[in-house]
Amino acid sequence: MADITQLMRFDDLASKDSPIHNLEGRIKLISTIFIILVCVISKEIFIPIILEIMLLIILKIANLSYLDSARRLLMLLPFGGAVIIFQPFIQPGNIIWSYSWLHITDVGLNWAILLLVRMIVCLTAIIIYSSTTPLQEMASSFRKLKMPRDLAMILSIMVRFLFLFVDELAAIRKSQKARNFSIHSKTTPYKWRVKQVGYTIGMMFLKAYEQGERVHKSMVSRGFSDASEMFDEKKSPEKSDYIYLLTIIIVVIILEIILFKYSGQLGYFGQNLAIN
Amino acid sequence: MHIPDGFIPISQCLIYYVILIVALYFSVKWAKSNLDEKHIPLLAVLAAGIFAIMSMNMPIPFGTSGHMVGGALVAIVFLAPEAAVLVFTVVLLIQALIFGDGGITALGANVLNMAIVGGCVGLYTFKALNGTIGKYPAAGVAAWLATVIAALACAIEMGIAGTFPMNIGIPSMVLYHFFIGIIEAVLTVIVLVALDKFRPDLLAWNEGDA
Repeated sequence: MADITQLMRFDDLASKDSPIHNLEGRIKLISTIFIILVCVISKEIFIPIILEIMLLIILKIANLSYLDSARRLLMLLPFGGAVIIFQPFIQPGNIIWSYSWLHITDVGLNWAILLLVRMIVCLTAIIIYSSTTPLQEMASSFRKLKMPRDLAMILSIMVRFLFLFVDELAAIRKSQKARNFSIHSKTTPYKWRVKQVGYTIGMMFLKAYEQGERVHKSMVSRGFSDASEMFDEKKSPEKSDYIYLLTIIIVVIILEIILFKYSGQLGYFGQNLAIN
Repeated sequence: MHIPDGFIPISQCLIYYVILIVALYFSVKWAKSNLDEKHIPLLAVLAAGIFAIMSMNMPIPFGTSGHMVGGALVAIVFLAPEAAVLVFTVVLLIQALIFGDGGITALGANVLNMAIVGGCVGLYTFKALNGTIGKYPAAGVAAWLATVIAALACAIEMGIAGTFPMNIGIPSMVLYHFFIGIIEAVLTVIVLVALDKFRPDLLAWNEGDA
């Protein structure tokens, strides 16, 4: 899992000013999910690659660093990358390379390329979304998009307290480091290290629970009840928000038409690489 | 165990989303009837804590590290898998949106593995063994089995999706989580012992004693 102590940095980044940062929260959420959906459905790499180019342009408009975004992407790749790397070796198909018992098939290689392209585009969309949208705005977008009330409220309160626990976690790590504690240290018994991690998790759990109780009491004392509603600033999407969303939808429609009419001329880019 | 976007076909993602919606319906109903009006702030702050706990490295031999899942832990604390569903839905949603850890389209599958399967296997194993081997050993076995079965569910989903053949995916996922599960079990027991010692009222299994 990614390092959550980076959360503060992401929220700082999300609070900056740019045409993408200033878009309405719902528009950014819908466009991100739309791009991910199109990518997941794509069986050819043509549309995902053009979408990636479009996302790189959006990244520039959002004044985000290509280097930082690439670093974040590289940190996220290993999770799915482990599954992708085996594909050329395990999927049945025509053998295009072999050495002893090891062989690479064309079907497996194509499938690995498609999965990798899909993953890169989806992660780029997520990086742009999380770097241009503060957590509170994300929670508010879900509420405005009619997420079930109880779940939306859990999400809204959770994101408020996330930073508290991130701070707590950073403090714990700092104090452990100051005492030369390392989970891989050979100078201390393994059992003892596991126990220390267990105590830390137990303490975090207890703190979370007790904080939850305190929050509940302070909310009740201020009039919170089952019927309470979260406050949402009334902000309607503007013309620029609709233009942004429509541009993405129109680009995808045009790409679908090109793929449908000229898939033969697109060569490898228009070839169906999916196995499912 | 976090399945990314693009690894499961959209038709199958929809099935997992339907399962998630049904599970959420029952979980919200459970929260309303069992946790009074304090359920929302309590579960929300607990979710924030679980989010932090899930990002903590746990020591695994051979120099690697992993992360605690905690589905069984939450289900055992509340004696209800519904609590795990509520907590993990928001945790996995934020993980997917901020860190790209697990996919948005695969959210249903990820909640199914870690909260529904993990929570149910954990809780019902605990309930089945509690009377015979004692609560802490039962919780340990439950957390271990929950981790292994959740990994098995993940391997089966990837197999059905065609992304990873089951004959390779199942043995490798189960074997890896066989060891990860032992650490998860030890940590779950330590957390439960600590809760029982310092705040026994928070554990649902002590409710009858209160």
